[in-house]
Amino acid sequence: MSERRIGVFICHCGGNISDYVDVAQVRDAIKDEPDVVVAQTTIFACADATQQDMVQAIQDEQLDGLVVASCSPKLHTFTFRGVAKRAGMNPYLYTQVNIREQDSWAHTDDPVGATEKAIRLVKAGIAKTRLSSPLEPIEVETTPKTMVIGGGITGLRAAIGLADIGLGVYLIEREPELGGWVAQFGAMYPHERKGRELIQELVAEVRRRPSIVVFTKAELMAKSGSFGNYLTEVRVNSGVPDLIHLEVGSIVVATGFDAYQPEVGEYGYGIDGVLTLPEFKALIDSSEGSLTYHGRKVGTVAYIYCVGSRQPEGNAYCSRYCCAATVHASLKVAEIDPKLHQYHLYRDIRTYGKYELMYTESRERGSVYMKFPEDTPPAVARGASGQLTVTTHDTLTGGEELTIPADLVVLVTGMVPRRNDTLMSVLKLPIGSDGFFNEIHPKLRPVETVVDGVLIAGTCQGPKNSSESVASGLAAVTQSGAILKKGVAELDPLVATVNTTACTWCGKCEETCPYAAVEKTSADGREVAAINATVCKGCGGCTPVCPEGAIDLRGYTDAQIQAMIENLAEVPVV
Amino acid sequence: MSALVDASLLADIKQFGAADVSACFSCGNCTAVCPLSSNDGTFPRRMIRYAQVGMKDALLSSKELWTCYHCGLCSDTCPTQADPGGFMAAARRYAIANYDRTRLAWTMYTKPVLATLIAILLAAFFAVFMYTSHGPQSATSLAFFQFIPEGLIHMTGVVVMSLAVLAGLVGVVTMARGISRREGSRRKSPRDGRAPGARFWKALWVALGVESLGQRRYRADCATVQEERPWYRRRWLIHSATMWGFLGLLLATLLDYGLSLIGVKATGTLVPIWYPVRLLGTVAGLALVYGVSMFIVDRLRREGQAAKQSEASDWTLLVLLWITGVSGFIIELALYLPHPPAWGYWVFLFHVSVAMELVLLAPFMKFAHAVYRPVALFFWALAGDEAKENN
Repeated sequence: MSERRIGVFICHCGGNISDYVDVAQVRDAIKDEPDVVVAQTTIFACADATQQDMVQAIQDEQLDGLVVASCSPKLHTFTFRGVAKRAGMNPYLYTQVNIREQDSWAHTDDPVGATEKAIRLVKAGIAKTRLSSPLEPIEVETTPKTMVIGGGITGLRAAIGLADIGLGVYLIEREPELGGWVAQFGAMYPHERKGRELIQELVAEVRRRPSIVVFTKAELMAKSGSFGNYLTEVRVNSGVPDLIHLEVGSIVVATGFDAYQPEVGEYGYGIDGVLTLPEFKALIDSSEGSLTYHGRKVGTVAYIYCVGSRQPEGNAYCSRYCCAATVHASLKVAEIDPKLHQYHLYRDIRTYGKYELMYTESRERGSVYMKFPEDTPPAVARGASGQLTVTTHDTLTGGEELTIPADLVVLVTGMVPRRNDTLMSVLKLPIGSDGFFNEIHPKLRPVETVVDGVLIAGTCQGPKNSSESVASGLAAVTQSGAILKKGVAELDPLVATVNTTACTWCGKCEETCPYAAVEKTSADGREVAAINATVCKGCGGCTPVCPEGAIDLRGYTDAQIQAMIENLAEVPVV
Repeated sequence: MSALVDASLLADIKQFGAADVSACFSCGNCTAVCPLSSNDGTFPRRMIRYAQVGMKDALLSSKELWTCYHCGLCSDTCPTQADPGGFMAAARRYAIANYDRTRLAWTMYTKPVLATLIAILLAAFFAVFMYTSHGPQSATSLAFFQFIPEGLIHMTGVVVMSLAVLAGLVGVVTMARGISRREGSRRKSPRDGRAPGARFWKALWVALGVESLGQRRYRADCATVQEERPWYRRRWLIHSATMWGFLGLLLATLLDYGLSLIGVKATGTLVPIWYPVRLLGTVAGLALVYGVSMFIVDRLRREGQAAKQSEASDWTLLVLLWITGVSGFIIELALYLPHPPAWGYWVFLFHVSVAMELVLLAPFMKFAHAVYRPVALFFWALAGDEAKENN
């Protein structure tokens, strides 16, 4: 290959790397490598100013290859591809070398060895870059339709949003009726409108849009194809089960949450008069004039917060919506009966943002808030006299034990992930340790998943209130629009390619491909393999099984890998 | 021991004039700014918390309730306008009503119209009761004890005082048992060091001498907020004038009775104005009337946090004391007039009736603080003494 002009930047990572790896020594070791025209160290390669310096260096030195030796490619591949792009260089001429996770952090006990390893890793990166070639993204036409899974408030609002930006929508709901949780709610904060009314409005809006097709009692059973062009299989159980096939460009998953169900005996659950928050809200919504339970007027209510949330064992997360929902419920109760006594036993109250005002109002209306120490949770019992009591400690009164006689005890139960094994296996979405679906990045890519074109919204992603759920649903609308409104999708060009003259069609690649991206085709009258570039994920599984060496992975060609190994091992590879 | 929560506690205290302390979020500004709350002090914040939570027993057995003199700094600085000072005053009223087992105090505090009616009818009863045994009204000199027999007044007075003392004692015992139970459970170290007897006497001296008669903490309390007031308008001073005046009159009455017992001077004998007992009565009476009048002026002008909000119970005490004091002076005036006026007899009857009523109602109204506060201060002194020893 002709001479290349490669720039190498070696990052200190503010000490994360340079505390164990002698970065200056690494630079000295590679600066005279063939084709290397720029060799620099930098405190933070990802810093804006450094990126600017790199752009300058690429332009000044007319570089046609870039190596950044820093952290994991998971973190900053796109950052430095962006640097290359801004400098007018093809982004696929960039190579990231990981000398942090794979070196400095792993060998804190051996700085000399770590430095030696860094030199070899960087040399390997240079060798790979030397053989790199410019690549262009693969463009595919997309289907301007989105499937929304889940007909709760998030899915309904997302469906309307999608229809309004001109996309076709298939709204899939497992239950016989649309509406989800919110359809069961009475007045909601902060606007005091009834949940069922909101849902009725949304459903009416959905019905008004011919581009939205609703399937109730329906479940997604299978998905094939690729980003921009998915082929789905949906089972609709209207009378006789019916399998229908729908083509969509993207999928919005809005399958919602389940309410935490306490064990019998957990904070007295199972005792008559001990309710969960959803049960209590239903009781409030059905009450007029006075709050009654089993025909008896309720005089005192005690709430126990964080049941099923923030547990040392079990659900460690905060369910986020319950504090404000309970405080709001207490205001409803105060409206129904201003004389009713309400005790809120909490570990921490988080009526964040504007909802703080509700907390203040609730206190001013006589609700008493008592913080109990984490290690002495309240105990609920029904005594011999039949009186329901809660025993607790109030940190603000010096920790004396208090016994509150209550007519009702409300366990403020949080959200748990909704179990849906079929959907999980069909979509192969990653799930966090908490059981909720994971986004790619909580701040920067909050509704995208690692499966391209499959977006998550609402409480299937984690606890949210309905405002936040709808907001994330609309984010998914925007993201679907960004994918589908262009009409074409750009796919990573790092896919497998077949040298048809070498290929003899043995079929081994087809057997090994986990994505069904290999098809049999004919070239010059011979049967050969062809790779569907839109389906191929670039995993590289097919390349080593090809007996003829006819398959190469773009960006990771056999020649590149071989050159890397030679530099790592410092012996020629046969 | 688990404390049973009384959910209606706060609503009950509100009947006694508390501002709405629901707004309080226990920030503790009040405790920080309070000139009388010590470093490890928790009042008034914790008193409010007891009320919010419904810890009735804890509130009623808190000596801290009575170590506050309502300077009002806490109410001035409260970020939620929960008026901690006003709350403490209301909680003390509530406590007086609770220490009383007859519920009469509760009625006197929470039903102003009925309370006024009771006050008027009771005075009328005493007047009618004594008038039914009246003798002649001498026109040559004001012979009060011919008009209303001395024995009758004496006997009525003894009965009324006994009743008042009995009611007061029941209240004091109720309160003291509550506080000592609470203090006992709080006490960490065993009693050691100084002999219990000495500690007892020292605490008693602090409670009655230094604090009640000397008003040390009251003075300290006022020092922080009332610099702009002339010395003769300071709250501790007008309170002292009232208290010393009342005690002086009590002493003069007792001395008068004692002099007649040992045959030096029969009760009712006209004596010159400089006669020691007469002089003591006159000076004490002036002090009482001055103090009470100033309190009335403060309350009418709503000057200072303590006088901003006046309950019927505040007025009842002031009015009864004022009437007693002023009518006493009118009698004195009548005595020294060259021609004894006939109205002197009626003023005398009025004065005696109101004085009787004042004594009889004392345990059931604001007057009761005169016994409850020293008891609380006794426990406060005892605890303070202990704290010093433990250090």
